[in-house]
Formats: sequence, C-alpha cells, structure tokens
Amino acid sequence: MSGNPIKAIIERLKEFRRPGYYKNYDHKWTMVIDLDRCNGCEACVTACYAENNLPVVGKEDCGNSRVMNWIRVERYVAGEYPDVKVKFIPILCQQCSKAPCELGCPVYATYHNQDGLNVQVYNRCVGTFTCATYCPYDVRRFNWFTYKWDAPLEQQLNPDVTVREMGVMEKCTFCIQRIRAGKDKAKDEGRAVKDGDITPACAQSCPAGAFTFGDLNDPESRVSMLAKSRRRFRLFEELNTEPSVIYLKKVFADGGGNPPVGGHTLAGGHPPVKEGHGG
Amino acid sequence: MKRRDFLKYIGVGGAGGVLGFIFGKVSKPPVGKLMPYLIPDPDIIPGVANWYASLCAHCGAGCGVLVKVMEGRVKKIEGNPEHPVNKGKLCALGQALPQTLYNPDRLKKPLKRTGERGRGQFAEISWEEAVSTVAKNLVDLNKSGNANKAYLLTHPLRGTFAKLAAAFMSSLGTSNIYEYELFQNRNLLYALETSMGLDCIPRYDIENTKYLLSFGADFTSTWVSPVLYSDAYGKMRQAAPGNRGKLVQVEPRMSLTGASADEWVAARPGAECVLALSIAYALVEKGYYRGGEVDAWRSALSKYKPSAAAHIADVPEKRIYEIARDFAKTRPSLAIGGETVSSYQDGVSGLTAVNILNHLAGNNGIKGGVIANAAGEKPDFKKGIAALIDDAAKGRVKTLIINNTNPVFTTPDGAKTVEALKAVGFIVSLASFKDETVALADIVLPLDACLEDWGDDEPNPSVGYPCRTLMQPAVSRAADTLGAGDVFLAVARAVGGKTAGRLKAASYADYLKDAWRDEYAKNKRMSAGTLTFDDFWNASLKKGGWWHPVGETKKAMRVSPSAARDAASKGPSMFEGDAKDFPFYFMLYPHHVHRDGRGANIPWMQELSDPMTSVVWGNWIEINPKTAERLGIREGALVTIESPFGKVSAPAYLYPGIRPDTAAMPIGQGHDAYGRYAQGKGQNPIRILPFKNDLRTGAFAVNSTRVKISPAAREGGIVKLEGTANEAGRDIAQTVSVSEYMKMKKEAV
Amino acid sequence: MPAVILQLRKVTVDKRTYSEVNKDILRLMTKTGPGYYAALGIVASLAGILFFLPWAYQIYRGQGVTGLNVPVLWGVYLVNFVFWVGIAHAGTLISAMLFITKTPWRRAIARGAETMTLFALILVALYIFIHMGRPWNAYWTMPYPNQRELWLNFMSPIMFDVFAIGTYTTSSAVFLYFGMIPDLASLQHQTTGWRKKLYSTLSLGWRGTDAQWTVHGRATMFFSSFIMPLVVSVHSIVSWDFALSLVPGYSQTVFAPYFVTGALLSGLAGVMLMFTIMRWAYPFLTKYVTDYHYDRVGALILALSLVWSYFTCMEVFTGLYANTSLELEHLKFKILTLPYFKLYFLMIFCNSILPLSLIFKKLRVSRPFMLFLCIFVLIGMWLERYLIVPNALSRKFLPFMWHDYTPSWVEVSITLGALMFFVSLFMVSIKLFPVISLFEVKEDIGIPMKHEHRKDGA
Ligand code: SF4
Ligand code: SF4
Ligand code: SF4
Repeated sequence: MSGNPIKAIIERLKEFRRPGYYKNYDHKWTMVIDLDRCNGCEACVTACYAENNLPVVGKEDCGNSRVMNWIRVERYVAGEYPDVKVKFIPILCQQCSKAPCELGCPVYATYHNQDGLNVQVYNRCVGTFTCATYCPYDVRRFNWFTYKWDAPLEQQLNPDVTVREMGVMEKCTFCIQRIRAGKDKAKDEGRAVKDGDITPACAQSCPAGAFTFGDLNDPESRVSMLAKSRRRFRLFEELNTEPSVIYLKKVFADGGGNPPVGGHTLAGGHPPVKEGHGG
Repeated sequence: MKRRDFLKYIGVGGAGGVLGFIFGKVSKPPVGKLMPYLIPDPDIIPGVANWYASLCAHCGAGCGVLVKVMEGRVKKIEGNPEHPVNKGKLCALGQALPQTLYNPDRLKKPLKRTGERGRGQFAEISWEEAVSTVAKNLVDLNKSGNANKAYLLTHPLRGTFAKLAAAFMSSLGTSNIYEYELFQNRNLLYALETSMGLDCIPRYDIENTKYLLSFGADFTSTWVSPVLYSDAYGKMRQAAPGNRGKLVQVEPRMSLTGASADEWVAARPGAECVLALSIAYALVEKGYYRGGEVDAWRSALSKYKPSAAAHIADVPEKRIYEIARDFAKTRPSLAIGGETVSSYQDGVSGLTAVNILNHLAGNNGIKGGVIANAAGEKPDFKKGIAALIDDAAKGRVKTLIINNTNPVFTTPDGAKTVEALKAVGFIVSLASFKDETVALADIVLPLDACLEDWGDDEPNPSVGYPCRTLMQPAVSRAADTLGAGDVFLAVARAVGGKTAGRLKAASYADYLKDAWRDEYAKNKRMSAGTLTFDDFWNASLKKGGWWHPVGETKKAMRVSPSAARDAASKGPSMFEGDAKDFPFYFMLYPHHVHRDGRGANIPWMQELSDPMTSVVWGNWIEINPKTAERLGIREGALVTIESPFGKVSAPAYLYPGIRPDTAAMPIGQGHDAYGRYAQGKGQNPIRILPFKNDLRTGAFAVNSTRVKISPAAREGGIVKLEGTANEAGRDIAQTVSVSEYMKMKKEAV
Repeated sequence: MPAVILQLRKVTVDKRTYSEVNKDILRLMTKTGPGYYAALGIVASLAGILFFLPWAYQIYRGQGVTGLNVPVLWGVYLVNFVFWVGIAHAGTLISAMLFITKTPWRRAIARGAETMTLFALILVALYIFIHMGRPWNAYWTMPYPNQRELWLNFMSPIMFDVFAIGTYTTSSAVFLYFGMIPDLASLQHQTTGWRKKLYSTLSLGWRGTDAQWTVHGRATMFFSSFIMPLVVSVHSIVSWDFALSLVPGYSQTVFAPYFVTGALLSGLAGVMLMFTIMRWAYPFLTKYVTDYHYDRVGALILALSLVWSYFTCMEVFTGLYANTSLELEHLKFKILTLPYFKLYFLMIFCNSILPLSLIFKKLRVSRPFMLFLCIFVLIGMWLERYLIVPNALSRKFLPFMWHDYTPSWVEVSITLGALMFFVSLFMVSIKLFPVISLFEVKEDIGIPMKHEHRKDGA
C-alpha cells in the first residue's frame, strides 16, 4: 500500500465504515440462544420487564402493537392438524455490528460504544423513528406516552436503569448496567472480566438454559465454543447486519411439516454471506 | 422561564407547540426526594444492592429465590443458583413477586364486613379488634360445644406452617382442615400411592431420559414444578453432547410443552388412559416387558389391545405399536401424566396407567426414569372442596377460616359455593387481595406478601434428597399486614387457654426458628458440619435453606397387574352432555402465568402474551381452524360456548394444535374482584362446568363436559401481539432434521 | 429563436398594455371583497382548529395519539412530508428548468408556482416537527458548536434531508424574492401607505437601469442553473430516506428517479389546480393564464405520467423478479390486499390512466376537465406515497410483528388542517405580493424590449 496514495485514501475512507469509528472494541458481547432448548415460557420476557423498568401499556395499546417488550418470544406455526409444528424464537436487539439503525439516526442517539454494543442514548433521542424503521428485527420500542406506574408499583423500579421519557426510542441494551457492574467489579478486584461474570437478566432467568452470554473476543469463552456449533445461524444473515446474537437451530423430527433445511434462505436461494451454517 | 423550557419553546417554534405547553408542561415524573435518608440506615448503602435468599410463594413448586433489595425496596427476583429445585432459574410468575408486593390493590388493613354478605362492603378496623373478634367467635363456639364446627380452608400447606395450623386447629378441638387449590395433585398423589405405593411425588428424571412420553403434562409451564422440569427439559435436549432426548406429547390440545415436542399425539379427550393401557399391552405383547407375571399383565390389559384402543383413542394402531417400541427400546425412557389427564372425571385411572407404563418398561428407580423422594405432604383425600361445600350448605360449618385460597372463583356456578358460604356463621378470610371469596368474609385479615414474611417449605416433588427452603422477609412491611403464621399466633393468644398454651411463640419467626431448632437437634445430617444451631440457622438463611445432596431416597416402586385391571375397568373418562347436542369436548387448562387465576392481578402477567396465542389482557376460546371454517367463525369473533350447565362467551382463536372435536379455554381470567388489573378481563370458563369431584381423592375435575359452540356476529375484542404465525417461507427460526443433526454430531470434533 | 418568438406571440393576448397589466395585478392585490375575507376567515380558522389544536394535543400527550405502532413508525406525517416536497417541486421546475430550456409559457405561471414552492416547503418543515417524538429538541438536528462535542451523523439519510430541504427552502426563497424585486420596485410607485413602504424597502433600491437588468438577468440564469440540480437532488434525497434502508418495499434503486418524476407530476398538477381556482376567483386572470398554458402543462403532465407509469411498472417488476418472500409479501399486501387493493388501483387510475386522456387537446384546454384531472393526480400521488411509506412497514421482515396501520383522527385532522394552513398562507400572499410576474408578463406583451435578448440568454 505504501507509495500508492489512492490506496491510502481508500484505506482511510474504509475506516469510516467501521461503526463508531473504533479500530478495536474492548469486547464483543455475544448472546447465543439455543432454539432447541427454548420452550417458549417467556420467563426471559418478564425478567427483562423487571430489570429494565419496562412499562405496562394496557390492553388498548397492546392491541395497537405498542407493547414495550424488549425481548419477545416469536412463535411460528406450520402445518395443519394433526401435523402441527411449532417453533419459538426469542428475539431481542441483535446488537448488529453493522447496525442499520445507527445509519438512520441523525443525531447519534444510537451508536456503537467501545464494547461493540449498539447503545441508545435516551437523552439525545429526538424521536425521528428512523432507527426503528430501519431495524430489520423490529426490536425497537417507542415511548408513545408518558407511562405511569400505579403507586406503589414504582417502588420496584430499578435505580440502575433510566425511566424513559415520552418521545424517545428504547430497546434491549444487553443489560448494559449489568455489563458495567461486571466490569467495575473486575476492575475493583484488579482483574480482567472473565467468562460468566456478566449475565443479562433474560439469560439469567431462562429456566431451560437457552441463553449463553459472553465475549466472543475471548476464544475460551462459552459463547466462542457455542459459536462454532454446526447448528449456528444468525437472523437474516444475508442482510449483512452482522448480529451479535447467534442462534442454534432447533432439532426437528424427520418428516412431517418441517421446512427444508440448509441453503434455504430468505433471499430465495442465495447462500448466507458468511460462515453459512457451519462453524 | 428556565433555559430548558425556553429552548423548548424555541425548538417548536410554532403556535401549535406553544399551545401544547399551555395545556401543561410536557409530562415529567413529579420531582421526588432524591435521597430519602436524612439519617442513614446503616444497612442501606444507596446504589448498592443487598440480596436476600428466600422462597417463592406464587405456586406450590417451592423455588428458592434471591431478592434484590436496594434502598429498602425490592427491585428484582432471581432464582437462587444454589437451590436444587430451580438452580437459579425462575419462571415468569415467580419473577413477578415484586408486583404482588407493591400491588396497588393489596389489602392494607384488617376489614370488617359492614354491608350484606357478598356485597363486598367493608370498614377498616384495627388488628386488635379484628383478632379479638375472631378469638371471641372461636371461644364462643368452643363454649357452646360446637368446637368441631370450626373449619379451616387453606391452600395446600407444607413445612412448619402446616404444623402450626394443625396445632392451632387441634387445640381448638377440631381437625377440620381442608386444603384446596384448583390444581392440587390430589389425583397424582392418590394414583402414586395406590398403584405404586409411593408417599410422595417422585422425581421424574426428565434431564437424563432419552424418551419422554408425556400424557398431557405441561411441565415446562404449569405442571407441578415448572422450573425444575424446564431446566431438566433444556438439559434433556442439549446438555449431553450427542444425546438428545425425545419428547412425545399425548394431549388433545397442544400445550406449550406439546409445542416443543417432537411428536404430538392428539388422542381423544378422556381416552389417554385407554391409549396408555394399550401401549402397556403392546409392551407385554411384543415381549418388551421383562418382569414377572406376564400372563397376569396380559390378561389385565387385554381389554385394550391396540386394535381396540385405536378407535377409542383415535390413534392409529400402528402408531401405538411404534410408541410402545420406542418407549421400550429407548433406554432410559419415562412416562409422566399431567393436568390434562388428572383433570378428567376419572383422572386417577389415567395416571395409574402412566405408572403402569413406567413399571412395564422398567423405568422405576433408574437414572432417567422415576426416582423416589422422601415422603411429602399429602392432602386428606376425604377432605375435598365438595365435602366442605356440602358441610357448609348443610349448616355444619359455624366458623370458617379461609387462608389464601379462592374457591368461589375456582368452582363452577353449579357448586353453589357462594350460597354455601353464605350459610356459614362466621367467615374469617386471610388474604392479600379482595378476591371473590374474600368478598363473602366477615373479617378480612390482610396478609404479608411472601417477601415480607417468614416461612419454610419442603418442596414436593422434591429433588431426590432432603431439601428445606427458608423464607425470610426481604423488606419491612409496606402496610399494616401480618404473616399468616403471625395471625394464627395472635388469634391463639387472644383465644387463650389450651390454644395459647400450645402456641406460645411471640412471633412466627420465633416459632419457625424453634421448629428448625428441634429438627436440627434430631436430624444428624442437618447438624453435621455446624457447631451450633445459630451458626446453622444463619448459614441457612444466607443460603436460602438447607439441602443435602447425598443419600438418595431408595424406595421400592412396583405396580401390580391388579392396578391395571382397576384402571382398565373404568374405560375412557366421561364427559357430561350428549354428543349430539354438545358435539365438542371442552378442555380447560391453566393459563401459563395466571395459573388458577392467581396471577391475573399482576400487570406484567396480564401484559405477558400467552406463548401459544400471543393474546394479552383477556382470554379466548381455542377452536381448530377447520371446525371454525365449518361453523363460520372468524378469528377474533365472539363465540358462545354452552355446556349443559351454563354458557360463556369469549373471542375465538383459531388454533391449529387442537382436535377438531375439541374446544379449549384457559383458566385464570374472568375475575369479578381481585383488583383493577384482574377485574373484568376475559371470562371464567370454570363457571359452566359440572361440579364433578372424584370421591376417592376429593379432586374437582375441570375436563368434564361437552359443549356446543355458536358464533355471535360481534367482534370479540381479542388483543394479540402476533401479526401472523406463518413464517412466510423466511426460515426465521431455523431447524435441522434429526438425521442431519446426528451427522453434524459425528462430524463435529 | 424565431420559433420561440413565434410561440411567444401565441402565448399572449396582444391587446394588453403595460398599464393594464399593472392595474390588473394591483386590483388583485388591493381590491379585497368580503368574499375573500370570508374565505380566508374560514380557511384560517379551519387551519387553527384542524391543524394547530390537534398538534398541540399531540405534543402534550405524545405521539401515541397517532395511529403509529411498531413496526409502522412512519405514517401519514411522512406521507404528507413527501407529498409536500413533491408539490414544492413545481415552482422550481417551472421557474428554473423551463427558464433554462427557454420555454416561454412559463412566465405567467412561474411566480405562482414559486410561491407555492415556498409555502409547500414551510409545510414540509412543519411536518418534520410534527412527526418528531420530541419536537422541542428539533434544533439538535442542526450542526451547532456545543460544549459536549455532540455532532451529527452525516451518514443518516435524515440528516441529508435536513440539509437538502434547508438548502432548497433557502434557495427557493431567495429565488422567489430575487425574481420579485423588479415587480416590487414597480409596485412601490403604484401604491401608497404601508404597502409603499414595504415594497420600497423590499425592492432594495431597484431602479430598472440597464446595468441592473443585466445583473438581474445573469443572476436569474445563475440561480436557475443552481437550483435545477436541487430539483433532482431534493427528492432523490427524500427517496433515500427509504431507499437506504433494508426494508422490503423501501430499498429500491429506482426510488430516486421515481420520486422525482412523481414530485414533478404532482407539482404541476398542484400549480394548475391553483391557477384554475384563481382564474375562477379572479376572472381577469384569464388574460394571463391562457388556454395555451393549459395545453402545454397538460402535455407535460401527460409526459410525466407516462414516465411515472414506467417506474411504477418497474417497481412491481423488480419485486417480482427478485422473487423473495420479502418482496412478494410486500407486493401482495400493497396490491392485492383490501383496502390497499382499491387504493392501488385508484392510484393507477389517477396517475396513469386518467392522464392518458390528455392526448386530446380538447381535454387539455378544457378547464373543468383539467381541474378534475389535477385533483385526481394529486390524490393519486398522495396515495402513491401512502402505499409506499406505511404500507411497506406493515410487512417487514418478521411476520410475527406484521401490523397494519390506520391513521388516527389526529393525523387526518392535521393533514387537512395543514392543507388549510397552506391555502391561507397562499391567500394572504396573493394580497401582499404579485402572484403573476409583472415584468415577465410585460416581456410577453410583445413590444420588443432591449432587455429581451439578454433575458432570453442571448
Ligand atoms: S425463558 Fe428460555 S425457555 Fe423460556 S421463552 Fe425465554 S428463552 Fe425460551
Ligand atoms: S437489531 Fe435493530 S436495533 Fe438492534 S442493532 Fe440491529 S438494527 Fe439496531
Ligand atoms: S439482554 Fe437485558 S435488555 Fe436485552 S432482552 Fe435481555 S434482559 Fe432485556
């Protein structure tokens, strides 16, 4: 590259394509969700409500699709009686490495922090909805009104998490307050964060143990191991958003109303951009 | 004008904006005190959480929890990682404990009825007055020689509190303790006892099994101990590399667990017993059964040869043989029987048939099979709710103490529970919320939430070894309430005499500690490792209880052919109503978080979508799409379900996972009382059931009637979160087939 | 050149004189009857009731009073935003593009079109605020130095929007004002009182010297060339709000030209609608906006409609060609699902089928027909945006989250109220400023002027 100014310029420009302009992230927080374990019980959803001060919006707004869950368990059904196949998939912010939502925000209210997380700065948000429109995973939630907690329910609000104001966007943070606390603790003890120090609320609660959380930069971590699984896939991989949430495929009985497996992707036949199904 | 406000005006710039602010400042939470601790409490460091180990009392599973407390307020509940039942995990309902604690509708003071009974008019009174009124009534009753007309109706009790209640009642001269809850495992315990000779719910080792044959056990969401089994389920699927247990779910309506099953067998409602017996027959017939008394078994089961059973259960003969083969050949395998089966009119037979399967396949006492537990608490089978209602209606109940159970909501109209309770002389209700039953009380004693109270528990089913959980207050009382134990002690003191003599402890905390002290003195395993009781006590409080993971309980578990003969003689379970007029079976099941209705007053639980339908804030009637098409029912349309005993209307949900001849509805909604979040949401389907009780066990059967369905033209007002459940070919939740998975396993290093 | 001159002759009614022009325009500006006041009163109060009050209510309660939801977070406000940007294209198209291409018939209608542009852009800006969750923080989208070193995301299409629309508004305002200077100067001599003061101040000492005309001519040429790319860029950028996302139905390469064409189409329809109404209100305008104008604009509408139809076909075709579930479901929802099925074919009727009738000159010059056609084209173009903006979001990636959108009363009311606001702004403006360019019409009158050659770029 030396001596070729054009190349140098191109290299320089390429740096701007890196989200958040960071050269290296301190961590690469990753969530592995094993769909073969998830049974759809929604304990994770409640955990997130408790941890992150998610408001209850009531019947009418639920009907308007304004429920404030940062994580939801989607259920897909195929087939007809008696050959009915059901699949659950918990969907939270995928913490995309190349996040479309970040592209959309005019004021950098959503950006990449030094941990490689896609964070939302509530104070900075002006409410243009662009991020939520651009998010392919529909995980962003908007504060349509000023949400209230009937007294004394507000006593249970987590002081580590902001109660969001009307007019701002919010979404799953990978429980950034827990990541912070884990890092602080490690720092106090004068060591690096180790695998298992940090567990987001949803992952903590899952009775079936479907979630594993950790740092993909650490080759020894459990997520690094699981990420090598042959069952791995990421949601809409072909969109090239590079999600930090890695799913492990559900194992389905042979025959029956199963969808075809392998090579069958959203884009109608294009193979996934990277990594494919293997590891 | 503050700078910030000024900028806002400028920012909006238009007259519209200005008008907006004239209506009121853009809503902001009112400014509170930043630091409510002028004089700091030494235990409280702002911003630093204390964690207290305790017990979840939202259901009978007995999960250990850690309570996160900051600034004297409960912030969050997590599972206690050391606790052997839930291993750090917790279900949705358990995590909602803070919303019970801080529920705006909690009873805050003792109440005295002012209006007519059932009108729900009460006046607040002091604890002294309330306790003395109750005590006086009990004393009067005693004096008039009617001591045995005092009754206690309570949710199933375990641990020290059960002993306290028993001591209290017996000191009054009565043994009338009725334990009642809609889903109470009465049939399960009875079947285990009569057919297997077990005095406990065993540990079903789902974790290690390779083939799980579940007869209507929704074990990942509501059955017996959901977190224990969900954890086991996860491990069964993916913990041991290369070994993935298979789940076959037999139920007419696909439950949440059924949705995760590898195979769903939609047997005819009520015929699961027959199906299980025919599988058992196939086991014997094909020689898979290796034990003795082959001929006795063969003849006992011969009534349900697969060829005959296939018609009754509506499962092809071939499939029965396949299941039998897999069940026998896959080692270890396990059969369990859940609420769907135990809630039939003849629930016992179905559960017995499940025990037979385990016996014939040799699953008892092996890893991945049925593992015995130490003896657990067990209700008095004679004292079912029907017996109590009968006594009450006949005027035999003079004083009734109701402890935290809601029979008015969970019994049908036909049971005439309200009328019966109205005939009771004096009703004391111990409750946290003004529910349908509390509305009938004369005196209402507000209870602590479990995060404010002391207690202990022996989980049942246990974990295969001794386990005791401790419950301790994580925060001080938010209102003028008392724990149930303290209430009994206070009443005992006020009653005086023998009662006060037997229950001397100053508080339930002391009583509990004394009980543990006694146990500590007696139980060598408890005292091993600690020097003094106080050490042990403090360590247990810190840990959340005491458990001892060695010394598994060994028990003989045998089923004899006569049990099979018994079960076989009953045939498929009965459904009321004539098949011509009422063409549909009506299946009720507990909502995954409202359970028997208890979770309906928690806002999170109302807003948590049902995983199978995504419905929130209400309930629905599940109908097979084909049936709906035939009847001209659109999704969301109001549908009336009529049984011979009444009718109920709710919106239709077209549910592919249900037999076309069956309609189903979740239990849990339809409260007339029970606080602002529960009231007026959905319908209570229990109302239209016949009041069928198993005379042997005292269990009330909810899957007991046929219904007819008639569409109404109106919209039903269903609110669901899903857009569509159709993946539209996008391969979102991707799958691999079992064979491919096996290949992967081989290729993997 | 001769051809142009020839055409020029046809445009104008020869009998007019300078003074007549002055008188006519002045009459329009100063003679105000009760009818005008009544109309203005109604329109302005409707704007207040339908626009400002609901908006205030929305700011007070939150965006929840709209019909928006997850995933349909862009609704009617964004539709209106795009629609008004489209309307705003007419002015520039007519003034700048036709100026550069030396299309003579533009002269009479240019000023009106430019005024429309400016007011449409005001609505556009308002809609940005209306659509925001926290409009009081709207200034955060501006690059201004601040202690916290907060900066803007220049990668965001929304940011492009802010700048594109900012630039466009500024330049159209300058262009409009600049073109008006000779007129204002001439008006200051014919008016008295506050008007005189106003016009003399605004005319910046224009005296009509040769040197001034030279500079003016050059500057007009310069502005026209400067503003012309904006016509293309502004709506392209607006289209990138959508096209740069991943959402099926948004992420289309064809969007930029598609949007620009649509914008020009709706802009022209808007201008013609406005003049038709004004001609009805002020019959003497017939002298200025003649059948010839109708004929020419009609032809242009026809041409644009054909281009638009091509793009519409391409949009569907590329979707079908991609043959993925994403595209197909989107198309299915947009074209084949009720009620969008009806809306889609209404749109096709309005924008493709109806304009075909403009092949006939008789229809082009028939004013009632043009009135009817312009209204339909505007409806069609609004529908086009409606069928793109919220509709695509209703069928995003995850079917579990599919959700439909119905505008709430607040949104409907603000949409109508904003139109009323626009009309009242326009009504006020015709009384304050000449809606027909005096000096350009005078150029038309045909007495050769020494500036004319320069004006025509010779
Ligand atoms: S808690 Fe676990 S098992 Fe339950 S829905 Fe969430 S991921 Fe699935
Ligand atoms: S999932 Fe959505 S919100 Fe989360 S980082 Fe990706 S685009 Fe952004
Ligand atoms: S990681 Fe935290 S914020 Fe995200 S879904 Fe889980 S609990 Fe909620």
